[in-house]
Amino acid sequence: MTGQIAIEDVEPGDWRSAVGAAIQAGGQFDCLYAVPAGHDPVVRLVMRDGVGVRVLSTVAVASRTDSIVDLLPAAEWDEREAHDVHRVHFDGHEPMRALVGHPADRDAWITPVEGPDVHEVAVGPIHAGVIESGHFRFHVVGERILHLDLRLFYKHRDLEGVAAGLDLARGVAVAQRSCAPCAVANSLACATAIESLMGLEPDEDLRRGRTILLELERLYNHLHDLSALCSGVGFDPGAMTFAALKERAQRLNLRVAGHRFLFDTIRTGGGTTVLDQATAHEAGGELASIVREAGEAWRTLTFMESVQDRLGGIGILDRDQALRRGAVGPTARASGIRTDARAGSPAGLWYPGLEPARPDRPAGDVAARAGVRAVEIEQTGAILGELLARPPCGPGLAVAGRRQAAVGVGRTESPRGATVCCVEAAGGRIARLHLRTASFANWPAVADVVAGAIMPDFPLINKSFELCYACVDR
Amino acid sequence: MYVMYKRLQQLRRGIALPAPGVPGSLALRHVDCGSCNGCEHELANAAAPHYDFGRYGLSMVASPRHADVLLITGTVTRRMAGPLLAAYEAMPEPRLVAALGNCALGVDVIANPDELAGPAEDLLPVDIRIPGCPPSPSEIVEALLDAMPLLRRPIRKDEA
Repeated sequence: MTGQIAIEDVEPGDWRSAVGAAIQAGGQFDCLYAVPAGHDPVVRLVMRDGVGVRVLSTVAVASRTDSIVDLLPAAEWDEREAHDVHRVHFDGHEPMRALVGHPADRDAWITPVEGPDVHEVAVGPIHAGVIESGHFRFHVVGERILHLDLRLFYKHRDLEGVAAGLDLARGVAVAQRSCAPCAVANSLACATAIESLMGLEPDEDLRRGRTILLELERLYNHLHDLSALCSGVGFDPGAMTFAALKERAQRLNLRVAGHRFLFDTIRTGGGTTVLDQATAHEAGGELASIVREAGEAWRTLTFMESVQDRLGGIGILDRDQALRRGAVGPTARASGIRTDARAGSPAGLWYPGLEPARPDRPAGDVAARAGVRAVEIEQTGAILGELLARPPCGPGLAVAGRRQAAVGVGRTESPRGATVCCVEAAGGRIARLHLRTASFANWPAVADVVAGAIMPDFPLINKSFELCYACVDR
Repeated sequence: MYVMYKRLQQLRRGIALPAPGVPGSLALRHVDCGSCNGCEHELANAAAPHYDFGRYGLSMVASPRHADVLLITGTVTRRMAGPLLAAYEAMPEPRLVAALGNCALGVDVIANPDELAGPAEDLLPVDIRIPGCPPSPSEIVEALLDAMPLLRRPIRKDEA
């Protein structure tokens, strides 16, 4: 999950060529963020290749630097965020539309769409159901959507700003508060980043304990997503069946880790989960029953013609576009990309031999995104089953064992995909904490695939991604 | 389909939810004002089979115009203050305001104060307080049922 990370300083004039060379060498984009440093903020680019993590860095002289968004389209939102929050101007990123900022001037964030009969439909920030707040501006002709402008960040609490200056050990609490359904993935990415700054490595018990928590989080989230998808097509028996299974999974969380959302189970430097044989055995039995019934319900769905008819062929994210956008998680796997932060046995966790899940038909549509979750519920059931059969002997510790990194980078697979947390320290305190969640990575793709769909399909397409607002807005 | 219904029936029998007490109803309009999405999950869970709040006359409605209760989750960010007040203005009288979860109550908030307009109490009169991080579905249902008498009034003779 982490390597020996040093910062590679790049002269401002060489930024684009250095990034181009890193891509040529097989580097894949993880995130880009700005670090305030007086008049000249610093821009960091985190990339990953077969060997490990690379952090390229350049000074934005007088707050200006070259955009790399044409080389790495996945960095679009990252540059827009650095622009809005840290006032970095990216030469060549035109037009620079507002993302985190909410300017009163609508031209600052809306894409002009003109033509006969084109009109706008404004939805949100308050939605009709129990849904997080965010605004969608549809440009439509009749029912057909031509373009969607997303305006999120209504829930912006400036958590990254809050983290700056805190004691290193408090970073995890801030990362956890960013989002309840991704609490384990986000706080573990943060804990891993801080541990790599401190040169700590998790022992066997901690690796196993943390893997149990990550998979418990995935289980209830995936069940929730399938319930939401059933609601999206108006199939209440399916929605209620998966909602009931989700409830059982959250009760399992409470029994195993003391909290329905697994809050406060991730700490820097050690574990919290202690499982005796009897509890682990009982939890294993309930887990197996949940996974079996979820499989049964999924098979029922596959025979429901009226449900299937709504899922296939809509909201298609093709493989090229998914790669271009840097899509992650079940979304990427449903588009046929073999990616999963759990694959390749990441060092701090316990995933021996895990392969990214393969849906039956990776067509990139709503059906494929539903199907990949059904496959992953089984996969998670198998991993958890094995871990609960031989539970960790104690909470576990992270022990000194490697060189201290200059930038801590933690990477986890949340229920929605790869989540990256970068932490930089000064004098034992957090100088900069940056959390780039899977939802942040995938939102641009939602807007892409909606173009061409009809308005009534939007809620369903949106639910097939089931992205968070909280850990995007932070 | 048959198996799905059978399982749901078994589940319902197994849970054996208590029968509704005094008849009544509350229409709920939820507004997320900067939560971590935990309170939303528990609120949605309260409508699922293990709690089934619809059984006690509670329902989520799509518009504040149809609502008796405004359910506020989250810290109330600066950016959500306007939409929140607009939703409140749109509600018919009599109406109630519920602060759902610790953030809405201003407890243990993690946020940059410059980004906040809340807690809820600073903006609106709060009638119902539901603490927890997040409160469990049963705590949410119980708090809302306890609030039902707040909107109940005796039926006048001439309206019968």
